[in-house]
Amino acid sequence: MIAAMGIDKAEACKGCSSSVQVSEAQLIRLLGKIKAEDAVADDAYRERLAACGNCESLAYGTTCMHCGCLVRLRAKLKAGRCPHPSPAVRERWQAAVKEHA
Amino acid sequence: MLKAIVHTDWATGTINKNIYGHFSEHLGRCIYEGLWVGEDSPIPNTDGIRNDVLEALRELKVPVLRWPGGCFADEYHWRDGIGTRETRKRMINTHWGGVVENNHFGTHEFFRLCELIGAEPYICGNVGSGSVQEMSEWLEYMTFDGESPLANLRRQNGREKPWKLKYFGVGNENWGCGGSMLPEYYADLYRQYQTYCRQYGDNKLYKIAGGANSDDYRWTEVLMQKAAGQMDGLSLHYYTVPGSWESKGSATEFDEREWEITMRKAMHMDELLERHGTVMDRYDPERRVGLIVDEWGTWFDVEPGTNPGFLYQQNTMRDALVAAAHLHIFHKHCNRVQMANIAQLVNVLQAVVLTEGDRMLLTPTYHVLKMYAVHQDAEALALHGEFGSYGTEDGKSLPQVGATASRKDGVVHASLYNLHPTEAAEVALELRGSEAGFDCDGTVLAGDAISAHNTFDAPAQVEPKPFQAAVEGAGYKIRLAPASVATLRFTPRA
Repeated sequence: MIAAMGIDKAEACKGCSSSVQVSEAQLIRLLGKIKAEDAVADDAYRERLAACGNCESLAYGTTCMHCGCLVRLRAKLKAGRCPHPSPAVRERWQAAVKEHA
Repeated sequence: MLKAIVHTDWATGTINKNIYGHFSEHLGRCIYEGLWVGEDSPIPNTDGIRNDVLEALRELKVPVLRWPGGCFADEYHWRDGIGTRETRKRMINTHWGGVVENNHFGTHEFFRLCELIGAEPYICGNVGSGSVQEMSEWLEYMTFDGESPLANLRRQNGREKPWKLKYFGVGNENWGCGGSMLPEYYADLYRQYQTYCRQYGDNKLYKIAGGANSDDYRWTEVLMQKAAGQMDGLSLHYYTVPGSWESKGSATEFDEREWEITMRKAMHMDELLERHGTVMDRYDPERRVGLIVDEWGTWFDVEPGTNPGFLYQQNTMRDALVAAAHLHIFHKHCNRVQMANIAQLVNVLQAVVLTEGDRMLLTPTYHVLKMYAVHQDAEALALHGEFGSYGTEDGKSLPQVGATASRKDGVVHASLYNLHPTEAAEVALELRGSEAGFDCDGTVLAGDAISAHNTFDAPAQVEPKPFQAAVEGAGYKIRLAPASVATLRFTPRA
């Protein structure tokens, strides 16, 4: 929901408004919004995260450079998919859900 | 019924093609992943730049591309981005919260990108954390054809001939991330820095001074008073943010009230151009100095689940209408506005292209810019009519319909949008000032909802479709769907 609807006169500094570093507390808050029925099994989640952890495209320990997503959220979602341009890498990630279905 | 009357024999100015310009910053996944994937990537590429995006940008007819920032420009040291890529310095881009920058995309790669998409380069130099010497030497490196250590360094790095570079910005947002300066101080610095922006050989620079944020008219006043004679252009930045900077609002989940607020804020650009233009007229009545709107567009909360520092947002029919409204405003002010650069090209803010791994989609904003490309370098035509009203916020209303028209090589193009999110608009369009009859065809962009957008799994939800105007009497009858944008072409009959 939008907090203020009027035209702002005092604007925040755009450059300082966002950080690529995401705290554990932020991640836990975001994970808490995922509904149980949308989440994968814990084993599949762990396998996906392990794959992300070994991927050269993981940045800041949290973020996939191929899609900009926070991998702990994407890995938790049944609908999540690996965006790596290599099919072999994608298939390994997707297979984790099937194995633990 | 609403009315739009186009005077085909009454040109009001020339629409500089550069108002259809773009902006690409080292931020999030704009440069890296959105454009640069590297030569060894499994994603098909040309010299490291992904082919799918190149093809889309060529189709779009991008006239000019600004780089490397933005805030990043005032932290960028060009020497870090030349030479063998493996040995380039890795650095931290602190403006965006500590982004790691490996400098694999530097000066040579940027010029190659411009060459591949047919865009003119617009480079922004570092005033905030750089030096006069550093800026001067970058220009020498890029544009000097003779014998000098810097020209020789360029040759060692594989580029024998200098590049052609016209547009050069002397700093960015120097009131904020570019140095937190007062206008008096920046005006003096601008005069100093630009002195050493040398014109080498037949390369003629168009020097752009860092301009105002939004409605900071005093900044424009001071810069014009102190430095108008030393500049060719003065920039202006304004973003359409429906909420506050702390809570901007979702890019895809919004109601009709937020739609209306977004449109009102987009239309604020007209007042900004009018008022900054009035200040500039006082010092430059001949309108020699161009107003360069080198950052504009929507700014929403990032897509849920994505890194907040990457500024990645989706793009709906709301963005399409914001883009169309801005282009109409720029056409209206085409005697002062000489360039505008939507922020940003790929994956950041109001992007025309989004990528995810090896997949790419074109946004509704892309389609509007492509439909409107026919107006590039055309003569703007006088137009009047009755455009209805839309909106109730604070008792203020906006015209429901926007219309703009231009003429090039005898062909007239008219573009129209309907701001209303739920009601169609019927418009009687008349072309005056020509005895020849016209054949008419067109294109329309509309979605099945105001939040309609393309996704990687459904990339063709919002696409332009053929559009017809019904002949009625001496004119045409046009039905614009709610929240739609259309461009009509009128070709004189032989």
